[in-house]
Amino acid sequence: MEVKVLFFGVLAEVTCTNCIHYREVKSIGDLKHRIQDDFPEVVHYNFRISLNNEIINNDPKLKDGDEVALMPPFAGG
Amino acid sequence: MVTNYLIDGPITQKVISHLMEKMGEKTDSGGHSLFLGQVRADEINGKKVKAIDYSAYEGMVKTEADNIKKSVLLEFADAKTIDIVHSIGTVKAGEISLFVLVSAGHRHQAIQACSKTVELVKEKLPVWKKEIFDDDSYEWKQKNSD
Repeated sequence: MEVKVLFFGVLAEVTCTNCIHYREVKSIGDLKHRIQDDFPEVVHYNFRISLNNEIINNDPKLKDGDEVALMPPFAGG
Repeated sequence: MVTNYLIDGPITQKVISHLMEKMGEKTDSGGHSLFLGQVRADEINGKKVKAIDYSAYEGMVKTEADNIKKSVLLEFADAKTIDIVHSIGTVKAGEISLFVLVSAGHRHQAIQACSKTVELVKEKLPVWKKEIFDDDSYEWKQKNSD
């Protein structure tokens, strides 16, 4: 299985990528650990996580094709 | 061209005029309230903002903007239509980056619903901005604080 992870705002800059794919991740918690291993600087930033365009606050299981976004505080308008 | 509430670059007078053309068709509306958000040439630590670079989670913008419209129309029963357009890409100081137009039966709800829509856009739309200074350095704007 494979999930797509998107980085936005300052996170796209510090990770030097807008998009990365991870295989065999079971849950959001598992994904966060993998991201922190690959991009340790991410822990210094506040962000929310969305799963398939919905902001989440828990630790749902992931399935093939899911899209996860790491989003710093919004600053639109 | 506006696609799912977003437009590349500044919202020009031509685009504003085009968006406002349909107001006259809304013959059940007695008031239209318009907000235009402009990039301000703020001075920060001795440097002046010359532009803002906007980026967005485009897929989520549509969902969130749809939800904003639904919630405002529910809260303000006299509001008839809401139009929202936000820039992505570079917008220079003095140029427009946000357009909100609310049509309502009467002026009070048009004004209040427009104000509420602007606040919700700032709170809920997945948009980020990088302030570009006159020396070409930049800084990510961490939160809405105007």
